Order: sequence, then structure tokens, then C-alpha cells
Amino acid sequence: MRLILLAFLAFALPAFAQEQLSAKAWLENMSQALREKQFKISLIQLQVDSIRPLIYIHGKVEGKEVAFLEHLNGPIKNAVRVGNIVTFIEHDQPAYSMLANRIQGVIPAAFAGDVAELEQGYNLVLGGRTRIAGRTGQMIRLVPNDEYRYAFQVWIDTDTYLPLRYDMLSQDKQLLEQLLVIELVETKTPAPILEEAYKQEWPPVMSPSEREDGQNWQFNWLPAGFKVIVRDHHRLIGTHEPVEYIALTDGLSNISIYVARSGDAPIPEELMTRDGISMASERVGNLEVVAVGKVPTQTLVRIASGLRLD
Amino acid sequence: MDKLGQEWVSAAVDGEAGPQALADLASDKSSHDKWRNYHLIGDAMRGELPQTLQLDLSDSIAAALEREPAILAPVAQPQESVSRPANVVPLFKQFGQYAIAAAVALVAVVGVQNYSGSGSSDEAASPVLMTRPLVGGASPVSYQEGEFQQQRPGYTNEQLNEQRRRINSYIQDHMLQQRLNAGVVMDNNNEVVTVPLNQ
Repeated sequence: MRLILLAFLAFALPAFAQEQLSAKAWLENMSQALREKQFKISLIQLQVDSIRPLIYIHGKVEGKEVAFLEHLNGPIKNAVRVGNIVTFIEHDQPAYSMLANRIQGVIPAAFAGDVAELEQGYNLVLGGRTRIAGRTGQMIRLVPNDEYRYAFQVWIDTDTYLPLRYDMLSQDKQLLEQLLVIELVETKTPAPILEEAYKQEWPPVMSPSEREDGQNWQFNWLPAGFKVIVRDHHRLIGTHEPVEYIALTDGLSNISIYVARSGDAPIPEELMTRDGISMASERVGNLEVVAVGKVPTQTLVRIASGLRLD
Repeated sequence: MDKLGQEWVSAAVDGEAGPQALADLASDKSSHDKWRNYHLIGDAMRGELPQTLQLDLSDSIAAALEREPAILAPVAQPQESVSRPANVVPLFKQFGQYAIAAAVALVAVVGVQNYSGSGSSDEAASPVLMTRPLVGGASPVSYQEGEFQQQRPGYTNEQLNEQRRRINSYIQDHMLQQRLNAGVVMDNNNEVVTVPLNQ
């Protein structure tokens, strides 16, 4: 499979010789454009059960990255990023700030990050060109190396190198999530709202006191490219149940592993929501291991069954 | 036509010909072109020409008359819009896909709405579960049926509600963690580096 894809890559490259750009170079240019350019994009986020219109504005004020994300429909739900502090402004709770170098939830953080990290789990393959938002988009496929993660496709504007569209596809090629740019405007100066956001005093960065070191859980198997990024124990929102928590990521997909006392009604061994979040659980004595993430269910089953305590 | 004839047509254009001469002119088909051209020349000299000059007006009117029934008759229309369905159909297909998904999601919401308001930080995006125990009939993508069939008869409604609540809190917590974990710096040595949140 991999060889075939590599052969295809080698075959496809000369066809786009006028560009002299590899799939990786396109992604690297996109990563740089997302961090360096000043732009405003109107986009819609499509999931199986929802369609959300959004505006994302990015610029640089006094050398610092400033970004603003606004949900246009429904209750107010905005996020502002100045440097590496992201403030969430939502209707149902006071604004709060977190340390983060991207605003989560819309454009995958990995797209503005280190492309080399993606290569561990995905083959980067050049695709064709399509017209999106009145611009020409070069498609790049992120073909998973194994069956443990979903496939991605991203269309990059040939002019600005900003993303125009992004698809997440399940293994049977069903669309799980799509981000579609409607309008993209590149600007020379930062948008006035970004200059205001830069001057504004935002709430101090939250220090989650409940974030304590977790137990030394080990996995006897993880898909290539996945790493543990956080271990802690905290209480679940909603049920306030205490859990041991481990976060895994390969740059594009995030997986959460929980270890908790199993309740009266155990969680089904496998389930999947309509927007692609899978869940797997395994009972170990009176504990249950629950794995959640936007990856195929069998990945979660295998990860959950390979967890042990050193 | 001879020179004399031309002068005669010219006189008729200028209104200098008598009724008898006009009647003769009308019957002489070969003079009709001249008649039209002289009028055109006269219009041009008086500066009364229209912006687009239809030199062959009678022909184009005749052609328009021939085309007219085709425009009025609805049957003739598809000829023009033959290329359209190709553009429109895929779009509708895609919308259909989402519309169906939305309809299914509505059904699913009935099953989970009784606790969806319990402290959700992300209500607009609160996940809609698609599992057999929650929603009768919806076929989950990868749900191990045998196992659950054994467990199900022993469950009370309260236990099922409890189960749904726990499933949802795990998913909501997972989504919240995406925000909390965003500041985590990944390095290449597979080491765990946690957020320096208390700085």
C-alpha cells in the first residue's frame, strides 16, 4: 500500500513540475501562511449533525500573532488569541484564558505546526486542483499509514497558501467533518478588531489547581506517531466523577483515556457518535477504561486493552 | 435596375412621388432593397441612426419571427439547459446527505435531550449519540450487539439514563480537554511535557 502510494507520489510530481512543490512543501507553506499572513476568512464547518458559520481573522500587531474566531449563529461563542494566550468568550460563563498557541476547534492545530510530525502517521500525497471560494485550491491528501486513523484532505490556495477546504474522511470514505472557506481576503494591515483585541486586557491565564500528576500508566501498544501529552486526575464535567486521565495525540487526532470506577450501568464496549467521535470501554475488575476520540473504534479498543499500571 | 429606376425610388423615399408611383414601387420587389438603403442613408444624414446598425433588418426580423414559437413553447427550453443538471445534481446530492443526517440526528436528540442541559460547556456542539441502547432502531457503526443483548434485560430506565449521562460526560470532558491540552508542547523525545499553567 505504502509503496503504491509512494510510486503514485513519484509519478504525480512531474505532472506538477511547474510548481516544483512537493505535498510536504505545500503543507509547510500553509503552516507558515497561517502563522505569518494577515487575513480574514469566512467559513462554514460541516459536521454530520450541524452546520456552523464562522469568521476567522488573523494578523500581527507589534510582531505578535493576534487571532479572532467568531461563531456567527446561535449564542455568542468567540475566541481571541494574543500571542500564546487564548481567551474564550461564551454566553454561559465568564470569559477565561488558557495557554495555547492556536485557537482549538476549527483549523486543526497541526496545520499551523510542524509538518514533519504528520509524516509519522500519514503519507502526504499531491492531488488535483479545484476552484474554491473563487480561488484555485491545490489538494493534498493525508493518507493514513495504517488503519488506526482517519484520512484527511486539505485544499491550499495557490495564491496565499492559506487553507480553503479541509475534509475528514472515515475508512469507508464517508465525510465526517468538513471546513469550507466561503471568502478569503488577505490584508496588508491587521484588522481593526485585532488591534483592539491586542490592547484589551483579558482575564489572567487560568491555573487549573485540579490538574495534578496522574499515575504512571503505560501502554503496551500505541499507533505509530501517537504520544502521551498529558496525564492527570480530575473530575469529569457533568457527573463530577473522579477519573485518571491520559491525553494522546498524533498531531491531527486527539484521544482521551479515562480510568474510573465503573458505574451500575457499564458503558457499551464500543460506540460512535454521528460526528465521528468514537468511544470504547473495557472493564478491569471494578474499574473501567474508557477511550474517546475521533479515530476508528478499533484503535480505541486496542489502546484501552493495552493499558497497564507500572 | 437602371439609373432612371434608382432616381424614381429615391424620389419616393423623399416623399416626392405620387400615389400611383408608390403603388408601382410596392409591386416592384427588386426596388425594396433600394428603398430600405435610401431610408438608411437619409437616417444617417439626419443623425437618426440607432446605436447598433442592423443592416439586414428585415432578415433578422424574419429570423426572430421564426424563432419566436421556440421561445414561447416550453418544450423547446431543455436544449439550452442541458448542461445544468450536471452542475446542480452533485450539490443536491451533498445537501441530501446532510438533510438525511440531520433527520436522523433529530431522532437521536429525542433520546438524549433529557440531560443535555446538565452543565454542558459546549451545548451547540453537544454530541448526539447513535447507539442502540439510546435510540431504538438507529444502527451503530460498530456496536457489539451480542454483549449488550445479554446486559440489556437487567437494566432499568434509571440505569439507562445513568449510562447515557456517563457517556455524555466522557465525551464532553474529552472535548473540554482539547482546550486544556492545547498549550502542551510536544517534543521529539516522547517525553511528557505538561503545560506550565501556573506561571
